[in-house]
Amino acid sequence: MVGNDIVDLQEARQSRWEDPRFLDKLFTVEEQQYIKATRDSFTAIWHLWSMKEAAYKLHVQQYPCRFYAPKAFVCHCESSPHRVHYGAFVYYTTTKITAHYILSEARCQTAKMSSVCLPLVRTAHEFQSQKTRRQLLDEVAKIYGFTSTGLTLKTTELGVPKLYYNAKPLDIGVSLTHHGRYGAYAIS
Amino acid sequence: MMTKDELIDKLKGIIAPYVQDEAAFKALTEDTDFVKDLKINSANLVDIILDIEDEFDIILENDDMEQMLTVKSAMAIVTGKLKD
Repeated sequence: MVGNDIVDLQEARQSRWEDPRFLDKLFTVEEQQYIKATRDSFTAIWHLWSMKEAAYKLHVQQYPCRFYAPKAFVCHCESSPHRVHYGAFVYYTTTKITAHYILSEARCQTAKMSSVCLPLVRTAHEFQSQKTRRQLLDEVAKIYGFTSTGLTLKTTELGVPKLYYNAKPLDIGVSLTHHGRYGAYAIS
Repeated sequence: MMTKDELIDKLKGIIAPYVQDEAAFKALTEDTDFVKDLKINSANLVDIILDIEDEFDIILENDDMEQMLTVKSAMAIVTGKLKD
């Protein structure tokens, strides 16, 4: 199983990240100290946010439910590998930071990042979602030798993506994310 | 005291800038889900929460935020806070 999250930094700048209440709603006291201690607080904020979101997406695959509790997903970046704790659960994350986007991936064990980022030319939600799904399906078909016509991706009521081949569920964990000009998918 | 329709109108004004599915926004009801229906990015949910705090001059706690996934839950939380 895998969870991933991408943040388009250009989009992120439009948010209220500089409002002290923004920090307080999303981050623990320790995380806020970490953010304030770094030279580039903006990048630190979105790095931690993407870790939390990736870990949440992995968590709900294991324990199906829906909620919005970013502060309860606690990031630990003081040593490698980076981790996100949620109650008694521990998830391991890897992050790629570029000048344009931040991409995080969460797993139950330490692993190299597998997420593939794709630039999206149009920002309409429907287009982005379709494009990211199409790329993921093509990649799964290639890896497993499936015909792409038999392969489908459905999202459960709780937003978890599931793969099917000729209508039979596949035991392949996947995660999709898109934001602004970027999308990414991961296959586990 | 604000009517239900006035409250929905105020909420619509707050969430409009973050909506990614305009058709779902036009058809908005109390059951509309911010993420599933309106395709609002989860990174923007906190912006919406701050905008709600400003608009209604209330403070939302973590427990309030946790449930804030639909128009109905946002209405219930705001109404509850305004009564306090």
